[in-house]
Amino acid sequence: MLNKFFDHLEEWLIATFMGLATVIVFVSVIHRYASGVPFPYIQDFLIGLNFSWAQELCIYLFIWMAKFGAAYGVRIGIHVGVDVLINRLSKPWYKRYVIFGLLCGALFTGTIGLLGANFVLQMYDTGQTSADLELPMWIVYLAIPLGSSLMCFRFLQVAWSFFKTGYLPKHDPAHVKGIEQEEEMGSMSQLGAVSQHSGGDGS
Amino acid sequence: MNVLIIFALLITLMITGMPISIALGLTVLTFLFSMTSVPIESVALKLFTGIEKFEIMAIPFFILAGNFLMHGGVARRMIRFASSLVGHWYGGLGLTAVLSCALFAAITGSSVATVVAVGSIMLPAMSKAGYPKNFSAGVVTTSGALGILFPPSINLVMYAIATAGIEVSGPGGVMISSPSVGQLFIAGILPGLCLSALLGLLTWTRARKFDYPRLERASWVERWSAFRECVWGLLLIVIVIGGIYGGFFTPTEAAAMAAVYAFFIAVYVYKDLALDEVPKVLLNAASMSAMLLYIITNAVLFSFLLASEQIPQMMAAWMSAQGFGSVGFLLMTNLLLLVAGNFMDPSAITLIMAPILYPVAVRLGVDPVHFGILIAVNMEVGLCHPPVGLNLYVASGIAKMGITELTVAVLPWLFVMLAFLVFVTYVPSLSLFLPHLLQGLR
Repeated sequence: MLNKFFDHLEEWLIATFMGLATVIVFVSVIHRYASGVPFPYIQDFLIGLNFSWAQELCIYLFIWMAKFGAAYGVRIGIHVGVDVLINRLSKPWYKRYVIFGLLCGALFTGTIGLLGANFVLQMYDTGQTSADLELPMWIVYLAIPLGSSLMCFRFLQVAWSFFKTGYLPKHDPAHVKGIEQEEEMGSMSQLGAVSQHSGGDGS
Repeated sequence: MNVLIIFALLITLMITGMPISIALGLTVLTFLFSMTSVPIESVALKLFTGIEKFEIMAIPFFILAGNFLMHGGVARRMIRFASSLVGHWYGGLGLTAVLSCALFAAITGSSVATVVAVGSIMLPAMSKAGYPKNFSAGVVTTSGALGILFPPSINLVMYAIATAGIEVSGPGGVMISSPSVGQLFIAGILPGLCLSALLGLLTWTRARKFDYPRLERASWVERWSAFRECVWGLLLIVIVIGGIYGGFFTPTEAAAMAAVYAFFIAVYVYKDLALDEVPKVLLNAASMSAMLLYIITNAVLFSFLLASEQIPQMMAAWMSAQGFGSVGFLLMTNLLLLVAGNFMDPSAITLIMAPILYPVAVRLGVDPVHFGILIAVNMEVGLCHPPVGLNLYVASGIAKMGITELTVAVLPWLFVMLAFLVFVTYVPSLSLFLPHLLQGLR
């Protein structure tokens, strides 16, 4: 139950960061050009707005998205490796290598999580703030220990379930929407139509 | 010596099948812990600051833009336009497939999605019209890779990121700055068009030889209506290129504008996407970008290690001591990249190889922009041959053909691609014509 909740929180967070960053950069670009248009009052108002922080905020949103998205990626199996060789091994050896790989992932992300926590503590002591937003830097960098630990947890989770059930999540890059129905409908009848009644609209 | 240890470690970790990003990171950590006295804190810092650049953020935005338009409806519009233009020639449906692949791949930036979207519509249609399966599968598999050269290309952005800030002096001792995303985008267009034309030409010749069916010639009215339907998608390219070259946006801003534009087109103009599906698209784009950003972070770390061990400099010195000219070096680069293409996916190769090879290339007098295009063409070839060519796997699923059978089917087009690779390698003016022309205009 709690697990489900965290899964959804993770998905919700990274999708929101992605959307938010896009909107912020879009608005700041529109603002830059709109404030050049000499409309009385409106221009003064627009010039009064300050968007210099947009770029910085976008970077921070993407760092957070990247760190938590990487953890989400472990859960859905999006991180690809060179599996040409181990795919040819016998089943038990294949299993051992997969588990080894997952544990290495946990080891690396765990180490980074610890290093990151240490780094954030040092940051906290210096009291450094970011250039435009004046956000404390330790909050920004908190993404690294949090994201990396979550990623470590995900690696262990996937390794455990692979060990128990033999199920390994694998991301399918070949999913395109609006294709399945097409196949059922006897795909290219439309194109045939184009050639048969020339002059017709064809769709 | 250290070079050997680093690469042996990296390759050993990689072939156990762990994610490439993890293999890169672990190599760096292991080497630093055991072999050197570089303070681990400086590495930690590098790991955190690796992706802290606004330029890198172009990648998530371009991926988002592509994901909004990654839809069967968009593919169908491209196909309809393409068939109205070239359908009446020999091998009409084959040429339609080449052209629609090029268009769809350019705006979505994903080769795999192109093979799926165009392939699942075109392959059944071509079979119905009497084309043999291996012909149609060969066309779609190879044409699906065309997108890497057309702007906005994520691979070219990766190259720009991987080489950003590397300052090397050329053969004359002049400092040469690393290429910009805008230059690379413009440079890719002409080679992209050439390769599309070559693949089309081969399709046409073979279709003529075997007398495959042709479609009826479409009227100009039909062409115009098909064009009006698909032009909304194609305008994305215009926004990106025009925005960057017109000086309106930085590449990252152009990417964000493209994402918003693609959202607007998909939801309100094409109506392929309902508003409540948007979060799903955002999540998909986010997870894909996060994966790439994670590789970038670790690749930055890896190239930091290489740089601190002076490896690119050593390689450059060794190369010039051996008397390799740029001709020999480019040949070796191509072979190396083709071999690497047998194991890894394109973005990882670009991120790992570009920082190593780039300084040597520049030292030997190769133009940075030309070198990027060369890498991109290599990646296109890598997508279309076994054992890891993703296009091949996806196409084999759609065409219901075995990998071996499909590999044979793809061969004629693959040879054309390889010949084109040689051409691109040794005729830099093909890549440099447009950037220089635009520079001259300014």
